[in-house]
Amino acid sequence: MQLGRRFVAALAAVLILAWLWPRPGELDGSPGMGHDTLERIRATGVVRVGFANEAPYAYIDPRTGRLTGEAPELARLVFRQLGVPRIEGVLTEFGALIPALKAGRFDVIAAGMYITPQRCREILFSNPTYAVGEAFMVRAGNPLDLHGYEDLRDTPGATIGVVNGAIQLQYARAVGIPEEHIVIFPSAPAAVDGVAAGRVSAYAATALTINDLLQRTSAPLERAMPFEDLVLDGKVVKGYGAFGFRKSDEKLREAFNAVLSTTIGTPTHAKLVEPFGFTADMLPGNVTAASLCKGGT
Amino acid sequence: MIEFLQTHLPPLVAGLRVTLQLTVGGGICALVLAALAGLARRSSRRWLRWPATVYVEVFRGTSAMVQLFWFYFALPFFGVSLPALVTGVLVLGLNSGAYGAEVVRSAIDHVPRGQWEAGRALNLSDQRILLRIVLPQALPMMLPPAGNLVVELMKNTALVSLITLSELTFAAQVQRAATLETVPLFALTLLIYFVLAQVLLAGVRRIEHYVTRHRGSRA
Repeated sequence: MQLGRRFVAALAAVLILAWLWPRPGELDGSPGMGHDTLERIRATGVVRVGFANEAPYAYIDPRTGRLTGEAPELARLVFRQLGVPRIEGVLTEFGALIPALKAGRFDVIAAGMYITPQRCREILFSNPTYAVGEAFMVRAGNPLDLHGYEDLRDTPGATIGVVNGAIQLQYARAVGIPEEHIVIFPSAPAAVDGVAAGRVSAYAATALTINDLLQRTSAPLERAMPFEDLVLDGKVVKGYGAFGFRKSDEKLREAFNAVLSTTIGTPTHAKLVEPFGFTADMLPGNVTAASLCKGGT
Repeated sequence: MIEFLQTHLPPLVAGLRVTLQLTVGGGICALVLAALAGLARRSSRRWLRWPATVYVEVFRGTSAMVQLFWFYFALPFFGVSLPALVTGVLVLGLNSGAYGAEVVRSAIDHVPRGQWEAGRALNLSDQRILLRIVLPQALPMMLPPAGNLVVELMKNTALVSLITLSELTFAAQVQRAATLETVPLFALTLLIYFVLAQVLLAGVRRIEHYVTRHRGSRA
């Protein structure tokens, strides 16, 4: 009896350890930096892309476990044409995407990240793959009657929720919403719960994000309609999403852009991104990363 | 309910695996470091005492989250690019090891000085006194705080989502992003952590029982 119990305990310990033991690939280091990334991924046939699990830009489909979304699907298409058949997702928090890319933890950011002058100082961007406007998520019935950033700024007691690292924080500051009325959430679901629980009056994000989240939540929330477009420096603010590369990967970026220019706006592209809610009116036109990095459109 | 578990349990179990990897790996790392640094801090040799003190104070005095960030995102710029799992185990181990070193040191301090003096009077070497007289008395004192540290370490593993590891909490976040079922998902996650903590504490209690009984039979 005593021996039997010990045997069972030892067996359980061995089984648990075997389960925990790192499997092949789990201890792989990062691809590293400084070498020619394009050459390396062509040789290995695998490119590692960083994403932050934000639908519909880049996320894991909970049913299939597959990395999908506008950015990963487009990345698959482009990299296949560059001779890299496989993409491998590296999941991280949105705010950690740029540091992780710079530290060589993956090769490309495929998270639908907006091109902004600040980010351009840190990394390179491909040309944009979509353009989208802003929206607010509010409680059902829009109790504070919020219809835009200025509106929120001028409404006493109104607070705005944004996701850490996302562009909306800069928008909120730019229109002059005081710091104490800005609440920074770690993720989009946290922001949704924040609105639902009354922690903030509105959650500001892209129209796409808001629509997608509203489709999935059962909480009594809605998109604030109509919505006054945010105008900064005389221009309507639109976000232009793109892929991010390390500063040293100019060659990879150029090769990527070349394929991208023959892809964006084609029927193949439309069919690829349509399931994620990206429509023809969201094509970036001839706006380039270079002009967006300078702060223009 | 069954459908809820069917969708969410497999990814949570995959996350639990990473949490356990970090707990076990970090725990072993912490145990070794705590023993070495704790003893070194009580050494009469300055070249042992100093590095141990620096280690303990640096890792106790800075945020574990920033340490993780630094090891993962900053070290590659100095040419050291550790895999995410290794970074997690190392940083968590270094952290708990620093706290553990203080547990070891204070337990040794709490063994009455007279025990050392008696040992010396019997012409025993310091090493022998430490191994045969002081440590057997100090060990039972270390265990309850060590149990706390183990549970603390297990819960600290939730920090590693910052460095691209999908442990239990992050797996829950991912599932939450997909379905926005925050309340039941986090309730399930809490329950898993609770059960895990109970298992760890039961393990520590068993060791406590074993150590005290063993000591009793020898005395």
